[in-house]
Amino acid sequence: MGFILRRLVFYFGAFLVAVVINFFLPRMMPGDPVDAMLAQGARFTAEQIANLRLTFGVDQPLYQQFFTYLGDVFTLELGNSTFFSNMPVAEVLGNAFWWTLFLTGTATVLAFIFGATLGIVAAWYRGGKFDSFASPLSLVLQATPQLVFGIVVLFSLGVTWDLIPISYAYDPELTPTFSWEFIKNVLHHSIGPIFCIFIVQLGGFLVPMRNNMINLLNEDYITMGKAKGLSNTRVMLNYGARNAILPSVTALSMALGFVVGGALVVEVIFNYQGLGSVLYNAIINRDYQLIQGQLLIMTVFMLAFNFLADVLYVFLDPRLRKGGK
Amino acid sequence: MDFIKLLTRNNKALAGLCIVFFFIVISVFAPFITQYDPGKRVTKSHVEPSSEHVLGSTRMGRDVFAQTLYGGRVSLAVGFGAGIIVVAMAVAIGITAGYFGGVIDETLSSLMNIMLVIPQLPLLMVLAAFIGEVSPMVIAMIIGLTSWAWGARVVRSQTLAVREKEFVVAAQVLGEPSWRIILIEILPNLISIIGASFIGSVIYAIMTQATLEFLGLGDPTSVTWGTQLFNMQKTSAIHIGAYWEVFSPIVVIACVGAGLALLNFAVDEIANPQLRSHVGLKRWKQITAQKEAEALQQQEGAAS
Repeated sequence: MGFILRRLVFYFGAFLVAVVINFFLPRMMPGDPVDAMLAQGARFTAEQIANLRLTFGVDQPLYQQFFTYLGDVFTLELGNSTFFSNMPVAEVLGNAFWWTLFLTGTATVLAFIFGATLGIVAAWYRGGKFDSFASPLSLVLQATPQLVFGIVVLFSLGVTWDLIPISYAYDPELTPTFSWEFIKNVLHHSIGPIFCIFIVQLGGFLVPMRNNMINLLNEDYITMGKAKGLSNTRVMLNYGARNAILPSVTALSMALGFVVGGALVVEVIFNYQGLGSVLYNAIINRDYQLIQGQLLIMTVFMLAFNFLADVLYVFLDPRLRKGGK
Repeated sequence: MDFIKLLTRNNKALAGLCIVFFFIVISVFAPFITQYDPGKRVTKSHVEPSSEHVLGSTRMGRDVFAQTLYGGRVSLAVGFGAGIIVVAMAVAIGITAGYFGGVIDETLSSLMNIMLVIPQLPLLMVLAAFIGEVSPMVIAMIIGLTSWAWGARVVRSQTLAVREKEFVVAAQVLGEPSWRIILIEILPNLISIIGASFIGSVIYAIMTQATLEFLGLGDPTSVTWGTQLFNMQKTSAIHIGAYWEVFSPIVVIACVGAGLALLNFAVDEIANPQLRSHVGLKRWKQITAQKEAEALQQQEGAAS
């Protein structure tokens, strides 16, 4: 358990760093943070300005401001959004969070399953037709940004052929209920964004899986397995893939963390009401409290998935379990 | 020179190199290819592609072809500039941590790990939002300053491996100063890693710049692929079906990305021969067989 505890301490430290960045960034700008926001063209009423000055506590000494801010962060008092009619930032982000989790979670898990499977096949038949076609292709897909896929998919499937809806997570006329009709509508709206996130992620799982597997296939125990007369599938899956998949699990967690950033863009393109659209509106309208809240929630998101991966790793790799004792 | 020979002998690398080189050339020689100024209104709004305006015009009546060509100058410069910053920082931090070890290593390593788990795109956005409408140069700077951690970690672990080799120990025993050991003994052994990390960073920087500008964080007056997309989105070119305005920057970005990715794949293969597919292996076997035969002939020649 020592391992897990150490990771927890580390993640807590990383979170504090994000908090520190969030705290000092607006204060490093010339003038006080409120002046900086005004200079950037943020529009506030006189009342909002007074409130902001109070929130930032610009009249107090710096260390006192910092501790007040730290306390606010841990009690989720992230201030109020100026764009979303003065709703608390925590509430705006909380609503959007589930949509983003739904999109990225589904897409990444699908990408992991398909990518890892195809990677195993590509490695087993390395140099074959499938490998020399799929591996470079997935690498190229991986290097293509979400931005490009999003726009291409929206333009072709959404606008030109009218196969998928071009905005929102569900029809605005529908009220969210647990009816089949509503769920069907949500799924229909999510096809486009999920496909875009999925396709970019795919390469990120296929190529490392293939490379790990190829390195492992040259090990003696694989030859041994074959020499014992085991079937090809058994050597491929139980001997090769079981070991090769370990680094991919870490990759899965990293991907889940990173994909939040990628999903931002896809959400903006599809006007999907997750964190990405919230951030886009926050940026366009210079809603600073909301932008800062975003960084925090995404850091937490990333750290949580990293931690999950650590736990999974211990669970999957017996060597690590023994080492921990 | 050996490195270049290896690159040109690998099909993927050659293809990648040609693609990237092509886009660099057309953006550098933009004034010779198009007569239009990318920042000026030259025709009516949303003109379809014609012989006069090869890729049509935007709603502002600007020539899309000219914008794409000139935009490449800035976008590629930002990509390569940020790539250089990333690699320079990654190498400096990674080697320092790996070579000196101890407290220095622990401090730098935890710094790397923390940078790795803080989501980069949101961090960049917060930075860019507070700095204001950021010029392409500032974008390159902030991408560079926030993205070095992954490279640094790879460089560090490789440095740890190289540091234990006999030639480094020999240099230490001879009393060579640390800077000389790092620059002359260790650095050349990291070249393939540094190369891969550079290409990866350039891809990342080009994509990130486009994304930031698309989201409206860039300076809207500069002409880049990202601001092209921003203006395209703002004037809802997608919804009115102005495919020429939508696809020009997209296709270029995707092509450059693909070219760099192919190059990176090839560098991987060169650095780790196990990953090479059988076609490459055959050629390698042929070459070694040839060399052996030559050596044999020479021996025979010397014997007779």
